[in-house]
Amino acid sequence: MHEWLARIIDWVRRDRLQAELDDELAFHRTLLERDARLEGASADDAAWAARRQLGNATRVREDARERWSVPWLDHLQQDVRYALRGLRRSPAFTLSVVVTLGLGIGANAAMFGVIDRLMFRPHAYLRDAGRVHRVYLQYTDREREHTRDGMEYTRYLDLRRWTTSFAGYAAYYHATLAVGTGDVARERRFAAVSASFFDFFDARPTLGRYFQAAEDSTPVGASVVVLDHGFWKTEYAGRNVLGQPLQIGSDMYTIIGVAPEGFSGVSEGANPAVYIPITTFAAARSRATSRQYFLSYDWGWMDMMVRRKPGVTIAAANADLSAAHARSWNAERALVAWRPPVDVARPRAVASALRSAAGPDPGLEARTLRWVSGVAVIVLLIACANVANLFLARALRRRREVAMRVALGVSRGRLIAQSLTESIVLSLAGCVVGVAVAQWGGVALRRLFLDDTSRLDLVTDVRTLLVALAAALFAGMITGIAPVMFGTRGGLASALKVGQREGTYHRSPARTALLITQGALSMTLLVGAGLFVTSLQHVRDTRLGFDADRILLVRRDFRGAQVSDSDQVRLGRRMLETAQAIPGVERAAWVSDIPFMITSTARLSVPGIDSVARLGEFTYQQGTTDYFATMGTRILKGRGFSKEDRANAPAVVVVSASMARVLWPGVDPLGKCIRVGADTAPCTTVVGVAEDVAHNSLTEAQRYRYYLPIEQFRPENGYAVMVRMRGDPVAAVERVRAALQTVMPGQAYVIVRPMRDVVDGERRSWRVGATMFVAFGVLALAVAAVGLYGVIAYNVAQRMQELGVRVALGAQPSDVVRLVVGQGVRFAVLGVTVGTVLAIGAARWVQPLLFEQSATDVRIFGAVGGVLVAVAVLASSIPARRATRVDPNTVLRSD
Amino acid sequence: MPPAKRDLLPGTLDMLILSSLSVQSMHGYGIAQHIQRLSQDKLRVEEGSLYPALQRMRQKGWIKAQWGQTPNNQRARYYTITVLGQRQLGEQETSFAELLDAIARVMRPV
Repeated sequence: MHEWLARIIDWVRRDRLQAELDDELAFHRTLLERDARLEGASADDAAWAARRQLGNATRVREDARERWSVPWLDHLQQDVRYALRGLRRSPAFTLSVVVTLGLGIGANAAMFGVIDRLMFRPHAYLRDAGRVHRVYLQYTDREREHTRDGMEYTRYLDLRRWTTSFAGYAAYYHATLAVGTGDVARERRFAAVSASFFDFFDARPTLGRYFQAAEDSTPVGASVVVLDHGFWKTEYAGRNVLGQPLQIGSDMYTIIGVAPEGFSGVSEGANPAVYIPITTFAAARSRATSRQYFLSYDWGWMDMMVRRKPGVTIAAANADLSAAHARSWNAERALVAWRPPVDVARPRAVASALRSAAGPDPGLEARTLRWVSGVAVIVLLIACANVANLFLARALRRRREVAMRVALGVSRGRLIAQSLTESIVLSLAGCVVGVAVAQWGGVALRRLFLDDTSRLDLVTDVRTLLVALAAALFAGMITGIAPVMFGTRGGLASALKVGQREGTYHRSPARTALLITQGALSMTLLVGAGLFVTSLQHVRDTRLGFDADRILLVRRDFRGAQVSDSDQVRLGRRMLETAQAIPGVERAAWVSDIPFMITSTARLSVPGIDSVARLGEFTYQQGTTDYFATMGTRILKGRGFSKEDRANAPAVVVVSASMARVLWPGVDPLGKCIRVGADTAPCTTVVGVAEDVAHNSLTEAQRYRYYLPIEQFRPENGYAVMVRMRGDPVAAVERVRAALQTVMPGQAYVIVRPMRDVVDGERRSWRVGATMFVAFGVLALAVAAVGLYGVIAYNVAQRMQELGVRVALGAQPSDVVRLVVGQGVRFAVLGVTVGTVLAIGAARWVQPLLFEQSATDVRIFGAVGGVLVAVAVLASSIPARRATRVDPNTVLRSD
Repeated sequence: MPPAKRDLLPGTLDMLILSSLSVQSMHGYGIAQHIQRLSQDKLRVEEGSLYPALQRMRQKGWIKAQWGQTPNNQRARYYTITVLGQRQLGEQETSFAELLDAIARVMRPV
């Protein structure tokens, strides 16, 4: 290893070594001459003796030189020079190859940059990352598998107590809180972590220490905080801050340490500014309630990570975790009797990736992203096919030259090496272009996927660069081998014998195959694009059941301050009155839940139905009188809320159309009774039926919702105000915020957001899929069209003589056009056919990502096929026109 | 009249060079002289094989080369043995001793 490196280094500086050796030999000779003269020889004799003793100087030099000559390096150098010379001679060819490969490589580098951060990149400082997992809890509900979002602290204790497969356990939670006091207070991300969390990392604190087990204990941990390195640098300028107080939420903490640079725990996205003991946080969050977070199972919020013991397989660890989860489930059932038994819910647990996008339930967006990465690979393949095609065309042009060289004794191996060198030189140039493309496109991609405007640089990211390089070498290999494999076949003699103008035109099956591959891959990508675009269209067209475009969502944040229920209720009413008085506000309503953000459920019973819960999930919304008019949710039957529905008036409820159908099929729901909260609760009478709305997700199938007047139910849960604007709500955001801020007590503040933004967030995965598939699909189509044009143009040039004969025999221009274009169309039709088969094969996996759109929609396949054929006609019509200008006189006489 | 040139046993040149350099750093001429002197002119290193051998050993990392000044203020390339070279010398000495021993047993059976 060392020797080879030394030899390569010597090879690079071989000229200098040679000169040095000459100096050395000259020095040796002068000393030998001196010796001879000391023994009394004459000057001439001495020189002669020295020369004789030194032996043949040329041989010495030759022998020594052999030590620093590396034959394959010599060949490589030769080949690179040869390649560069050839490429300089045909700049158009070089440019088209470099750009084509650059786009393919760039697409992959950029996608990898995103996927890597989302799924693969190990967290900084994490020790032995392969054995560290996040624990995902799963259970079955109504025949469907669910992966839970958050875990109870009690459950974490259970799993820790009842498993034996792990050497370490940690609990963690990320959210935002106001950090700092007074003017410097800002909403910042924080991490609440167990003391054991830091044992997972090889990260010595820059300053001070991390918290210890004694500081992270139930019921209440110590009020200590470890600062993020970046936060410490920007907020404290890197001063010694140990022992200083820092307000987080409503509590004061003491700074005990600073995490090292680059440490971000297992956070995805922005670094947390501070790390606090998880029990301290849990106790603060539970203070207002009576809950004991470490004994009860009613607050699923945090995440759990584990370190597998060496020698324990993941399967064994999962079995261990699942058994513990089942035991914990029973412990929970002892407290909450209505939980289904273990044999129904089948609780399981899996130790999987820390990053949720790589975990067992990656979510729609991460899954879409995986497909988009696959698409990037296909774009590269199409680019490679195109480049291989260009190489092949050139190889065919060079047949005589190659045949000549083979005849002169150049080995096939050397030919392959030369061809490979050329293609790799090109692909490396493509790599440079690709990284530039990725750098430029990557910013847009990260903004699209990661919500990350950080200045993470692809150019300096080793992992991304390595992937770009690997993609380039891969592209170089496959494009370089193709022309040799197919180009040098056929008789040597025949290649030498024929003139420049070959007697007949050769079909190249390899080129045809490449062309059809390109067509097929373009077809699949464009079908994907079509599917995602129509899905997005369907998502947009889906009736939400409310007018997202007209509504502003107003929330308040008490910045961790404890506000009593009655104060909250008073503030809610005040906010509503203030909002209603703002000019431009059409209506406003005070509500408990927010679409896609907050959902409430309560125990529901309906006379005459055994178990309502078995029918599905029923969620409720509380609102004030104008709720339906504000949201734009239509009342289909009966009435909405009225001013008469006061706290002491008879309790009323409005149900969604779906809920009415499932509870009272074929019966008028008006006047029916439901009991909310407990089986013994008094009747709440159905007074109206509202249209279905999307609340938990755009795609949920069950839309069982009911609406309660907030003043009749739980006004203390009133959380937000919905404001319906007369004009454009986006323009009014600041005005509404300023008006409502005036009524906020103390440090509390209001957050105003157009409802449209919230809905757009829900549509993101389809938008991402549509955008990326369209971008890559169009790219692929353009590349394939250029490839087709190249092949047809080449074929026309090859067939000039034959076409000349046809014209001489009376063929009309339209016949010639039909002949040439017909060939292009045949290629396209074959590509479309193969692509259709591929797309139908992939349909099963793409289907779940789509929305109300069949993955095998004939219309989309037909449209895309039509586009491809049209493009083929266009691409081949240019060479076809050239063919019609054939002058038989010239063509038949040339050569 | 110089004594008859004696061919080195194959493979011993490296060992002799390393052994010379383990005394002190030397230039090529010095190594040749050193071997010749210590062997009382019985062994003579052919310069034609000395320099290729030095290049080879440098590439293997057994010795380092550095330009320096001779006591007479001439520029010469000095070779120094490395840790790797010392280890190599030890191994070669051992195997060479074993070889001599084996030959001696064959020549003079006890």
